Amino acid sequence: MIKYIIKRLFISILTIWLLATICFFLLRTLPGNPFQSDQIISVEMQEKMMSYYGLDRPLMEQYITYLGNLLKGDMGYSLKYTNRTVNSIIKSAFPVSADLGLRSLAIALPLGLFLGIVSAKKRGQAVDYLCVFISVIGVSIPSFILGSFLQYIFALKLGILPMAQWKTQLHTVLPSVALSLSLLATLTRVMRASMLEVIGQDYIKTAKGKGLDGKKITWSHQIRNALVPILTMLGPMVASVLMGTFVIEKIFAIPGLGQHFVNSITGLDYTMTMGLTVFYGTFMVAANFIVDIAYGIVDPRIRITK
Amino acid sequence: MSERILEVKDLRVSFDTYAGEVQAVRGVSFYVDKGETLAIVGESGCGKSVTVQTIMKLISMPPGRIKSGSINYCGKDISGYTDKMMETIRGKEMSMIFQDPMTSLNPTMRIGRQIKEGILKHTRINSKEAEEKAINLLRDVGIPDPDKSMIRYPHVFSGGMRQRIMISIALACNPKILFADEPTTALDVTTQSQILELMNELKERLNTAIVLITHDLGVVARMADRVAVMYAGKIVESGTANDIFYSPKHPYTWGLLESLPSIDREKSNRLFMIPGSPINLIDPPAGCSFADRCKYSMYVCKKQEPTETQINGTHSASCWLLDERAPEISFKRGVI
Amino acid sequence: MENNTDIISLDDFRFIEDKNPEFNESKGENLSYWADAKRRLLKNKVAMISLAFIIIIFILSIVIPIVSPYTYSQQDLDNINAPPSSEHYFGTDSLGRDLWVRVWYGARVSLAVGIFGSIIPSLIGIVIGGISGYFGGKVDMVIMRLIDIIMCVPSMIYIILIMLYIGSGPVPLIIAFALTGWMGTARNVRGLVLQLKEREFVLASKALGASSTSLIFSHLIPNTLGIVIVGITMGVPSAIFHEAYLSFIGLGIAPPIPSWGQLANLGTAVFRIYPYQLLIPAIMISITMLSFNLFGDGLRDALDPKLRN
Repeated sequence: MIKYIIKRLFISILTIWLLATICFFLLRTLPGNPFQSDQIISVEMQEKMMSYYGLDRPLMEQYITYLGNLLKGDMGYSLKYTNRTVNSIIKSAFPVSADLGLRSLAIALPLGLFLGIVSAKKRGQAVDYLCVFISVIGVSIPSFILGSFLQYIFALKLGILPMAQWKTQLHTVLPSVALSLSLLATLTRVMRASMLEVIGQDYIKTAKGKGLDGKKITWSHQIRNALVPILTMLGPMVASVLMGTFVIEKIFAIPGLGQHFVNSITGLDYTMTMGLTVFYGTFMVAANFIVDIAYGIVDPRIRITK
Repeated sequence: MSERILEVKDLRVSFDTYAGEVQAVRGVSFYVDKGETLAIVGESGCGKSVTVQTIMKLISMPPGRIKSGSINYCGKDISGYTDKMMETIRGKEMSMIFQDPMTSLNPTMRIGRQIKEGILKHTRINSKEAEEKAINLLRDVGIPDPDKSMIRYPHVFSGGMRQRIMISIALACNPKILFADEPTTALDVTTQSQILELMNELKERLNTAIVLITHDLGVVARMADRVAVMYAGKIVESGTANDIFYSPKHPYTWGLLESLPSIDREKSNRLFMIPGSPINLIDPPAGCSFADRCKYSMYVCKKQEPTETQINGTHSASCWLLDERAPEISFKRGVI
Repeated sequence: MENNTDIISLDDFRFIEDKNPEFNESKGENLSYWADAKRRLLKNKVAMISLAFIIIIFILSIVIPIVSPYTYSQQDLDNINAPPSSEHYFGTDSLGRDLWVRVWYGARVSLAVGIFGSIIPSLIGIVIGGISGYFGGKVDMVIMRLIDIIMCVPSMIYIILIMLYIGSGPVPLIIAFALTGWMGTARNVRGLVLQLKEREFVLASKALGASSTSLIFSHLIPNTLGIVIVGITMGVPSAIFHEAYLSFIGLGIAPPIPSWGQLANLGTAVFRIYPYQLLIPAIMISITMLSFNLFGDGLRDALDPKLRN
């Protein structure tokens, strides 16, 4: 087990390093100068700013400095928002995005698993068809489109929920729901398939043969085993929620990190884009790492085979 | 007078599929007395698994259903029992072990818990006592280091070991009857022998009746008190082991016996094989279902199904050759 | 079943001559794997309807921009933000461009990006996965570790970085997808090849002297084809989604060339006043993704050997 953890840890660190490196070289070699688009600045001033931010040093030197700073957790200053560090922007905006993401997960996870279980146990009946229908629709409508629909119906036409921004509890409803739907749909599908697979297994017959009652069989034997493949999906799930926040924040004008990320891209704010990419990348790698460990705990067979 | 544990009368089980009604079991009757081993022999698809799984109601209904017939357990007809009612019987009065030990145990649950589950459901002992009992059971079936093994997972054990664990689960609550559905088919020959030995030993000790499903006549010879030969959803011959091996009366039984390779057969003879293949259970023929493959089929065999003839107190068979109007045919090994 | 109406006579107790104990032909035609799969697919109504939608959209995307009196970039500043009418079936956008032709031209772009953005990564994946699985050992280990490492980060991040570097447009998009989308297929194919390598029929062929190439072509590939085809079909809605997403954040297809994602993006800006400008491309995206998903599902069921009947 320990070997397994160490191996995953090593791979994780390697990944983050790879990502940071790619980010660095990619953005440094991009055409365009972050200072030219904004105000009219003289060439002298531009050069001064370049040297201030260390952008005129040789590439490799910048790289080493960069890596060194990263290890200290310092991601430098934003090139656009002068005097604000990337870190501080992350500190202020990330909690909002995290809040949005967590709410969506809180909706999608229990509901998705529940619907998946129900539709598997009542296979072929009306409930099953309904769940499959919802899940297929959910997978086919991108979250940002759904978000716009919801805004249109509930905020514009019906006026019962706020249109945008992140002020009160009510404000959180539409964005969270929009973000959660495709995840919910995927979860329902996968859980249903997993449950059906498990229900047909021999060991369920054994459990029945022992005289255990239906509930116990469902919980201790079926659900427990059906959850195992779901765990492998948790990593990608968190990733898709993360990606989803970018667009949802845009539509609903939510002051989260996603907005900053998108804007930094179009605005050529190098340090910001890099910092956020490394941040998101690290976050994802950590999430995957935790999921891998959890998977190792839940499915004892993995510890031996991997 | 032996206590009759199980009596099945004219059981008919069908499956409703897209292609039609598959008549898997077409009128099966047999009985099992206390402490005896009944072997049900037949080739794949003849309905033996469906029969015993129906008795324990482990078949999903739908698409399966009991068309007619009765299943008497200790005098009570359980064919109409609901799932809830069956829960009191399964594990406690009757249990089952399956063919594939690799897939019959829950891979994510420690074996100790899998054994204790059944015990805790059916007996009024506390968790600690159940733990003790489970360890003893593991010891009885020959698992080394039983106390340490309790917390292990199924995949660390070999096939033979897993089957032993299955047996311990099945016999945990001392059921009156154990259904063993091809318990050794997936194991190698040496392990097979050990498992059968174990089953006999436990049977002696606990006085459990066993219904052993197999297609291997060697296993039958070793384990069975009585034998029922099944073909295409019906029992074509039944009797004591002696009856079946030394004076078989049905051509299918002859075919099975003949297919056993034997040391004293002449070298030039090819291995015997019953020609043809089993019938379609969606549309069974009107007459005897074995007629197409039978060397001795007569015109009457195609017209009507044979009735059951009682040969002696224990031995009966369903074949037109036993009718007084039919020519005399006797069976000699090596001559068929 | 006792048939009491038949009277049995002594005569019936004669042995039947001329028996032919041939092995009974199993009832049910003996179809090849592909023929059986095709039959099952054709029977699947949902899949067939989805396929119909896909074909219709495909045809319209080719025909409409050709026959339409407007081009996708033609502006009519006197006639901006007009609602759907007989002149402009889908209305016009904020620059007076006809939305009907833009939607169907955009269909070409989105479909092309979707289809090629799914096929090309799959092909790359087959090659890499096939190599990894076939040669096994160190090669396999290295490739799989590499995939593990790369996949720790969501592919969207890589795509964004790549798009930043090579710019926007349909071709850059496809390149970005190709570079980041092959990993899933590679894993699947590699797994399959590993399984198949050990199967008896391959060993049997080898024993009969078959060469590596013939093994690969006549055995391994046909068996992996099913999974790959399904993978490609299901990859299309994913690619369409990615395109829409990227266009939405400003990275995908730049105006004036329309794509559904771009149209959706432009539409969100004026959504509150002119909802049709968002709803129409949104519906197109959703229907197309849905159709590919459902058809892919049907395809997967049809090709699943366990469901053969």
